[in-house]
Amino acid sequence: MIEIIELLLFGTAIGGIFALIASGFSLIFGVSRILNFAHGVCFAVSAYSAIFLIKEFSLDVYLASLIGIAIAVLLGLAVYAITKPVRANAVMVIIVTLAFALLVEQVILTSFGNRGMSLTPFVEGVQVIYENLRMAKMRLIAIPVAIALLLALDLFINKSMAGKRIQAVSQDLEASMLIGINVEWIFIITIAISSALAGFAGILYSQIFNIYPAMILRVLIYAFAIVILGGLGSIRGSILASFIVGYVFVATMKTLGTHWSEFVMLIVIVGILIAKPTGLFGVRE
Amino acid sequence: MRSLAILALVLLLAFCVSQPETVGKREKVVIGVLAPLSLPEGSAQEKAARIAVEEINSKGGILGYKVELVVGDDKLDPTVGSAEFRRLATIEKADVIIGGFSSGVMLATMEVMAETKTLFLTDASSPSHSAKVAENYEKYKYWFRLQNNATTFAYDIADMVKMLRENGYEVKKVYIIRDEHIWAEDVVKALKPLLDSLQVEIVKDVKIPRNYAEYEPLILEAEKLNADLIIPIIALAGTGDILVKQWASLKPKLLIGGDLLAANDYAFFEKTGGAANYVIFTADGGTLVTDPITKMGKEFVEKYKAKYGHYPEAHQAFVAYDAVYLYKLAVEEAQRNKEKDPFNSDVLVKYIERFNEKNPVVLTRPIAFAKNHDLAWGDNLTRNWISQWQDGKQVVIYPEHVATGKLKLPPWMK
Repeated sequence: MIEIIELLLFGTAIGGIFALIASGFSLIFGVSRILNFAHGVCFAVSAYSAIFLIKEFSLDVYLASLIGIAIAVLLGLAVYAITKPVRANAVMVIIVTLAFALLVEQVILTSFGNRGMSLTPFVEGVQVIYENLRMAKMRLIAIPVAIALLLALDLFINKSMAGKRIQAVSQDLEASMLIGINVEWIFIITIAISSALAGFAGILYSQIFNIYPAMILRVLIYAFAIVILGGLGSIRGSILASFIVGYVFVATMKTLGTHWSEFVMLIVIVGILIAKPTGLFGVRE
Repeated sequence: MRSLAILALVLLLAFCVSQPETVGKREKVVIGVLAPLSLPEGSAQEKAARIAVEEINSKGGILGYKVELVVGDDKLDPTVGSAEFRRLATIEKADVIIGGFSSGVMLATMEVMAETKTLFLTDASSPSHSAKVAENYEKYKYWFRLQNNATTFAYDIADMVKMLRENGYEVKKVYIIRDEHIWAEDVVKALKPLLDSLQVEIVKDVKIPRNYAEYEPLILEAEKLNADLIIPIIALAGTGDILVKQWASLKPKLLIGGDLLAANDYAFFEKTGGAANYVIFTADGGTLVTDPITKMGKEFVEKYKAKYGHYPEAHQAFVAYDAVYLYKLAVEEAQRNKEKDPFNSDVLVKYIERFNEKNPVVLTRPIAFAKNHDLAWGDNLTRNWISQWQDGKQVVIYPEHVATGKLKLPPWMK
């Protein structure tokens, strides 16, 4: 019993953070057909910015996190700007965004070093869950926060006018332009939302775990794998896939050992894709 | 006439080949530092070597030659490390290279060292390095380790278990968390029979990758398996602070004690927000900022603080500082013995080997080498003192002749 609760809680916490990253990655691809290889930049930069602001200016962790997320959004918009001239060429977009990610990684490496850093948690301490099972309060808080953000995203996409326009652009770009939707604005809104989600994920992750320069590409690999598993362009698929990956990750760590967790996670993804090549929620184009 | 020309050419070539390049042409002494500069363990080596070089230059250099420091970054990558070693040895013409941190990188750079016949005074801990010297002395004799090897970490961890028992804390079961890396492999290989002989059961041995941070489930598991002690053997993972923070917040009924490199950093207490309190660790190479064991060590840490605004971040600083002075001593000794080229690596190997267990040289630590060029381990030489963080200070708690305090248990254990 205690093992199942532990698996569910730890898996949901990490799955929720993965979902924040992957849903944004999927959203950008779904709307603009951009494979944003610089998505991990927003994740890492928000956390590093907050850590820097707390250390150098003694800012409150909430304010520092907010500014960190804002900086992530600005970087997301920078990615939009540098990919705009090459957007028609998918390969060039990948090259430009990957180069940007590597550049930012080097800047972080030079500025902060290669050792991981943690952000002060919003809430300190440990919560007793069941019998001897305890969990850091911050990890526990990350679960409802991530789920709330994902629900808000779902509501925004499906219920709001802006969300419907995003869906329209995602389904047919040219038809959307014909009915008067400002497609460029939709792209900007999409990338801003995605960057904010990744930025928030970075804040949560660095409060529970730690952040280091190589996370920029590591996160990209996770996001990419999850989005393919969920079905390219399907946000709900990405969210479901994120939680599956989170549970597999934790279960492997508990049973086979930590050094197998990523290996098994990728094997499961490949296995599911062999059985269902379009991913869980994907459709053939 | 043609024969004469050929003879002249042969003689000229023979003359050129027989002339040692350095003799008579030297303008300076070049010391290379090769380390992962984006890590504190690497940058500390560069900083420490710089202090030593400045001190030596202010006193006239080595044999009157000004010393110049050149630096290479191995980026913890064997390929990069090898290329950087080659650059330092051939382009920068380093007379000696000091540094290293990762055992994997060290294995690769030792090949370039052998090829370029460059004296290499190093850190890193895997016994596989010294095994190379033992197996093929002529090829690898240029390598010396100024830090205790991984096997000695096992001796010290076993002594830590004994010390805990002597102080009334029974250790029957241990849970190991270690780097997924060659050096930790070597420690565990040596540690297992020692724990067996103490009738200590290893309930689990967990390997963690670099930057691993998910310690909470491991701590809970250790508690569930009734472990009395978590033995961390963690350096490259780089997340010792997170382990300690999660341990202090979960407050399990077990201690943390082992080779936790991060705990050697004087700023560790502050970095963990005080969570480091009661953490037991091996002070690698017997170097603690609060308890330097030699006069030179005491002066070094204060000079380091005066120059950089903080104490050495890692024990590798002591290694690098000692390496520069060891090189100077060896060159001067070679000169005193009227060696034709006192800077020649083959010559210097002989002089460095003279610092053995019977004839250690006391720098920031007593330095003596075994036959395989490993640093000699022992109570009166260099060993990894068992230490503990107590109220923001690093305190040596074992062995008794150097102890500056006694073991303290966390309040939630009482």
